[in-house]
Amino acid sequence: MTRILKGLLLPVLVLLVWELSARSGALKAESLSFPTAILLAAAAVVADGSLFKAALETFTGAVGGLAVGASAGILIGVAFGLSRRLSQLMRVTTESLRPIPSVALIPLALLIHGYGFQMESSVVAFSCFWPLLIITEGAVRGIEPRLIEVARVLNFNLVQRVTKIVLPAALPRIFVGLRLAAAVSLVVAVTVEITANPIGLGYALIVAQESMRPDKVFAFIGWIGLIGWSLNASLLRVQLKWFGRMGNWAEHTS
Amino acid sequence: MKLKNGPLMWLASLGILCLFVALWQGVSHLDLVSAVFFPAPTRSFESLWDQMRGTDFWFAFQQTLTRMAMGFVSASLVGIVLGALIGLSPRVRVYIEPSLELIRPLPASAMIPVFVLLFGLNDRMIVTAIAFSSLWPVLLNTVHGFKTVEPRLIEVARILRLSRLQTVWKIALPNAMPDIFAGLRLALTVSLILAVVTEMLAGVAGLGQNITLAARSFRSADLYAGIIVLGAVGYLTNILLERAENHLLRWRGH
Amino acid sequence: MTQPSASPILSVQNLDFTVGDLNILRDISLSVQEKEFVCIVGASGCGKTTLLRMMGGLLTPTAGCALYRGQTITGPQPELAVVFQDYGRALLPWRTVAGNVELALEARRIPKNERADIIQDMLSRVGLAERADAYPMQLSGGMQQRLQIARCMAQAPQVLLMDEPFGALDAMTRQTLQDEVARLCSEAGVTVVFITHDLEEAIYLGDRVISMDKHPGRLSETLDIELERPRNQLTTREDARFLAYRHRLFNLLPPGH
Repeated sequence: MTRILKGLLLPVLVLLVWELSARSGALKAESLSFPTAILLAAAAVVADGSLFKAALETFTGAVGGLAVGASAGILIGVAFGLSRRLSQLMRVTTESLRPIPSVALIPLALLIHGYGFQMESSVVAFSCFWPLLIITEGAVRGIEPRLIEVARVLNFNLVQRVTKIVLPAALPRIFVGLRLAAAVSLVVAVTVEITANPIGLGYALIVAQESMRPDKVFAFIGWIGLIGWSLNASLLRVQLKWFGRMGNWAEHTS
Repeated sequence: MKLKNGPLMWLASLGILCLFVALWQGVSHLDLVSAVFFPAPTRSFESLWDQMRGTDFWFAFQQTLTRMAMGFVSASLVGIVLGALIGLSPRVRVYIEPSLELIRPLPASAMIPVFVLLFGLNDRMIVTAIAFSSLWPVLLNTVHGFKTVEPRLIEVARILRLSRLQTVWKIALPNAMPDIFAGLRLALTVSLILAVVTEMLAGVAGLGQNITLAARSFRSADLYAGIIVLGAVGYLTNILLERAENHLLRWRGH
Repeated sequence: MTQPSASPILSVQNLDFTVGDLNILRDISLSVQEKEFVCIVGASGCGKTTLLRMMGGLLTPTAGCALYRGQTITGPQPELAVVFQDYGRALLPWRTVAGNVELALEARRIPKNERADIIQDMLSRVGLAERADAYPMQLSGGMQQRLQIARCMAQAPQVLLMDEPFGALDAMTRQTLQDEVARLCSEAGVTVVFITHDLEEAIYLGDRVISMDKHPGRLSETLDIELERPRNQLTTREDARFLAYRHRLFNLLPPGH
């Protein structure tokens, strides 16, 4: 109990100091607002539905991109994991494309798709592709070789091998990758919206900033943080529920 | 033909990339894709070459890199020192760690509107935003590195009657180095992303501004050239950091 | 075997250690004379490691005291060197073999120009002179343990406290290291307190073997080992007296330890 109280001390102190210095005029409230105003704004954006609308837009952009990017990443990751030759041949290509910051693709996506969900999903897809490619390739490589031998003894063809052995064996780690990619998709979607796309939570932030409403800015930041945190927490629960007892069940432990 | 892993494989891999580029070149030559959205690679390389021969490009390059460097270096120094102080003291950690965990899920770019409100759309805002966002990965990873010092080694330090400073310098710091570098790598990625995003928002000279303007005026060859440059910046800065890491952490992965 | 000196170099008096409701050590009293090689044998979980850590100053007793040269032990010190069982965790992975030994010399504030010779000497004594530039990760378990011993010897210790140092090693390496430790310690003239659950190891190495009960940890019997030194893995272990000691201890310790 005291541990929790001690942990809360700093944030409470910060909030108090913030509130008091803003009210006393010591702090520029026009730029930074203060906690009570922010809380009110946070409630207001829920009440008027703007939070829900913006969040839905961001989710749509994020999920669309995640689905495409993650599936591509997993597919190619499996291929690379199964064929070291393929992975090595493609090495220069992947290492040239990977360092491109996803935000650098925003103007390109804008050029091709114009404003809207497609543009956002494309950039998100690019960002989600890489972590899943790397993690999946690693997971497939790390599969207990004994299991692969079992597949060969049972005379499985490629599709059977992948669906019955490779994918299930690599699944725990792939799931961790998905969790990571989900967080990335949210962050990238918001970033795209802040930079260029007039939809979603990121855009709501920009609108609030341009209308000089720091209380709304912080309110949205708080909501974005909360949404990100609960997304990760729920995915973590799912992960523990599905994979917890079995551990990384098919990883080769030597 | 059996290709072993080594220079031959690397060459073959490079060949595959050239193949893709040649394919693209052929496809655009035959007008199978829109020249606006997917310009021929030769045009992009020409644009790159032309830009690099002029001074505007280098000015923009220097601007972006300076901002990145200023933000990244200051964030790293502060992050490592603070991270060490927090990580080494269990008493301090009880008060501070929960607050750190609250900040963790926030997307770095979401704080940009706050900085715009505070500083306006200028260099100061950019460097502050870069520094602020790069701070967290370094800080969080450094705290982790210092708090997970092998307890057996702490006992050895106690037996040898090493002073507090000696213990930190000879045992805690080397132990924390891998974590610190992991944080630095993340921070580097974040600082590049933030540099590009803030430049796009602030409309100041830089590599981010270059591609935004190129997209707006449909100069797609210049756009692709700019993307290549940003990819190269990401790649080279990462290699530099990796070199430093490999040198300082020689003892690993032997 | 050992010349009784005026006062013991290390002693514990009525040592008690309780955590919550659990009484781990009860009323332990023990004296160790200088240059003695004392072995403490007991089943796993009887509290031998706890006792050793108290002698090393890493743990404070809830009652009673531990004394080094007559002074209460208030904390760890280089004179009471501890050789840990989990040797991998007690070595600095970022320093070479030589660097690890050097750590002890840095602690003793030996000037830089004098260190190289001492390091070379220590490494030769444990047979690691050729691996001076290797990193701990590149060494086998036995070599890593030797490195830890070398580092401990570089502390110029008065007492060597060894916590089941060979427990994690294979039988052959264990035998080699037993002989090495016996030789090293008699050459250096250090006092040794050696903890093990291996009866034969205790008899083979010790001048005195003390057995320990568990729940709570209590010292039960002391056996003075009247076997000549240097000991030999074959002949000593076949000696009738060795077997007699073994019988004695076997009956003292609970089955299946």
